[in-house]
Amino acid sequence: MRGRPLLFTKYTADQALLPTGTKKVMAAIFVALLVSIPFDLIPGLGFLAANDWLKTLTRVFIFAIGALGLNILTGLAGQVSLGHAFFMGIGAYAAAVLGAAPGALWGLGLPIWIWLPAAGLVAALVGVIVAPTAVRVRGLYLGIVTLALVVIGGWLFRNTESATGGSQAGRNFPPFELRLWQEEKPFLSFAEDGPWFGIDLSAEAKTYFFLLVLVAVFTLVAKNIQRTRVGRAFQAIRDRDVAAEIMGVDEFRYKMLAFAISSFFAGVAGALLASFVGRMIPESWDLALSVQLIAIVLIGGAGTVSGTLMGAGFVVIVPRFVQELTDLLKETIEEGEGVLARIGDVFIATSGSDGGIINTLPGSGPGLSVFQLNLVLFGLLIIAFLIFEPLGLYGIWLRIRNYWKGWPFTY
Amino acid sequence: MRKNRAVYLLLALALVAAACGDSAGDTTTTAAVATTTTAPAATTAPPETTMALPAVDIGVDFEAGKIYVGMLSDLTGPFGPLVTPIVDGHSVYWENVNANGGINGLEVELVVKDTQYIPDNHVQFYGELKEEVVAFGHSTGSPHTMAIREALEADGILAVPLTWYSGWSDPALNSNLVPHGAPYCIEAMNVLEYLSKKFEADNGAKPSLAIVSVPGDYGLDSAIGAALAAAALGLEVVYDGTGKVIPPAAGTTFDPTEFVTGIVGSQADIAFVTATPGTFSGIYGGSLAQGFEGIWSGAAPSWNPAFIGPDSPIRGGIARDFWGSAYISPWSSDAPGMKELRDLFAELRPDAPAHDYYGEGFVEASILHAALQKAYDNGDLTQAGVVAAAKSLENVDFGGIGPAETYVGEPNDRLQRQSLMFRPDPADLDAGGSGTTVVEDFFTSDIAAAYEFTGACYKLEG
Repeated sequence: MRGRPLLFTKYTADQALLPTGTKKVMAAIFVALLVSIPFDLIPGLGFLAANDWLKTLTRVFIFAIGALGLNILTGLAGQVSLGHAFFMGIGAYAAAVLGAAPGALWGLGLPIWIWLPAAGLVAALVGVIVAPTAVRVRGLYLGIVTLALVVIGGWLFRNTESATGGSQAGRNFPPFELRLWQEEKPFLSFAEDGPWFGIDLSAEAKTYFFLLVLVAVFTLVAKNIQRTRVGRAFQAIRDRDVAAEIMGVDEFRYKMLAFAISSFFAGVAGALLASFVGRMIPESWDLALSVQLIAIVLIGGAGTVSGTLMGAGFVVIVPRFVQELTDLLKETIEEGEGVLARIGDVFIATSGSDGGIINTLPGSGPGLSVFQLNLVLFGLLIIAFLIFEPLGLYGIWLRIRNYWKGWPFTY
Repeated sequence: MRKNRAVYLLLALALVAAACGDSAGDTTTTAAVATTTTAPAATTAPPETTMALPAVDIGVDFEAGKIYVGMLSDLTGPFGPLVTPIVDGHSVYWENVNANGGINGLEVELVVKDTQYIPDNHVQFYGELKEEVVAFGHSTGSPHTMAIREALEADGILAVPLTWYSGWSDPALNSNLVPHGAPYCIEAMNVLEYLSKKFEADNGAKPSLAIVSVPGDYGLDSAIGAALAAAALGLEVVYDGTGKVIPPAAGTTFDPTEFVTGIVGSQADIAFVTATPGTFSGIYGGSLAQGFEGIWSGAAPSWNPAFIGPDSPIRGGIARDFWGSAYISPWSSDAPGMKELRDLFAELRPDAPAHDYYGEGFVEASILHAALQKAYDNGDLTQAGVVAAAKSLENVDFGGIGPAETYVGEPNDRLQRQSLMFRPDPADLDAGGSGTTVVEDFFTSDIAAAYEFTGACYKLEG
């Protein structure tokens, strides 16, 4: 079938993970690129090898895992959820109770291979408990029910001080360390600089690789769920739940399953985020976090795994770019010469009396802080994508792909 | 399709440009560091000194003549209105230092990041800044500072905490933080002893007390100090709302009913409320509406000068009822340091309104200034060198803006125990001042003086 990449003669071929040769090559290049980043092998991407950028990329991976979970629930099964932050919080605190060193707060000091999966399982269990309420309603009502979860979770986390450290105080979370059991020294620590298999790596690079492996595993799982019976059932429910049920899809069961799987992903992502940050307060698991995850799914393209990955990259990295761009413009303005400085001066206020959309010293005058600007930006992007490109970044990618597929005969 | 192609091309170009810009920036910094460390007699030696250049690693660039200092500030979060003038104070202080020769010819440049009072952001920005600054001019918030505490120690970087949690004075909890001002817990002792004595002199009886606070290190540290003071003074606590005030999440409103009922119902003589300015004014306003006329106070960050602003609905009441405490002298203070501050603001920020928190920026900057200068003189201006220099500082004087600080010796000996008492003054505000009058300059109460400091009043756990 060479030269006819879209002709499939078997269902298995049609459903393959990477059905065409191009996709296989692209995936291999992408993975190789990600692996090479900390070693600074590719010209032009050298800045990504700096520790602070590695941290930003690691954060992308963590949000990608969380968003993959939300994508299964919202993108595949069509169940709107504002409660993802709640499940992330549950996962984080399950991890803390199981993995943190014993002390004044609950902590059992168990190794990561217990606390990380357990964080997912506990969150999934909570998902199954709340799902019967949630699956009885749909659309806007489901949105409200899941919103309530975030509010209840906020109260719960504030008031279970032994687990969470209490409001505005917070607690430490177990670090990324591999232990067989509770021995003194971990045999693999991601939190310390030093050589690994003869290669000298920084702590940031190690954490990066650890998360890269995890995100690869979760991507595979998400992709596999999508292309199996369960995934098709989810999509049938999303497209028309009544029709799905007539065809023999047990709606209740599959909605429960979607909640459980999605909560598992969220729990693991929450545990990873908390461990990555090190210390978090109960107020961290709020609506803003849920909205961020929804932004990832919608901007990336609801229902697609690669779109979700792109969305995570976009939502986490764009604020960084806006910040860097603002700093760059600010410096140019302060040097005061050239066209760029004049243009920049229109957009950026460098002091209280100066006008501009972005204020580099927020609060000292009119203008938005970089954070506020990012919020506005995400809001606008979600609206724009929903109206103009419902498939999100994935849709744009699809169009680029289709353009090159026929190149140079684009007509 | 054609139009779209242009857009993608532009996007790609922008990305490439941004990427190139960044990597170029990286190479120049490392190059500068490399040349200066290997060749101390470089041509760019500062003019004033004949000494060899100090050793440097991150955050000092001899070629550009700059020392970079990081700021983890809450500019748009709940404490934004208070932290913004602090950052202003910092920048005015350093502008003046830079104009007068800097640190042996090196100018200090601030790299400010807005954490929004979110620990997650705080940690993220810390990670970014630790690769480009020599030290941190301040780190806003206790759970936030707690979140980077271990990293500060592991990375060997100095930070001035912008939080008065008593744990920062405990070396077991921190080694790279240089706190200033009396911690919340000690402050509460000073305030209550002062107010209780005054009440007794006026009324011939001991006052009854209501304690209300937010949870966390801030509220609980303060409330524990208040409880210790009440026990030492023999005051009856008629209402206890310790740790019960929950600041509202974004987009929701605060319901003060529980605390209003508690305070008004208890008929307390003194209401000691440590909260955020927003929740404090809610509780105060509610109680005022019910005719409560007790004495009000709380830890310093509960107070916002906007309470007596021209449009404030509680203006008249709070001017009558509120007794504030502070870690630094207010704008109108007679202290020589404050006079200098006012002159500098008149010169460098002629349009800036009077504000009590500029002094805080000056104090933080002064500590860092002393540490940087000492590190330079020691010949070790590395991140670790600045930490070592700061830890050896004794009797850092702020010209009366705040009480002098020492960072050597036993924790119990060097713990700061002095607070200042002020009253709101709407007339002063209308006349262009900051609206505060000092009623008792820096003092140490008997309870605070006798308090044996063995560790944080409120233990912030694991």
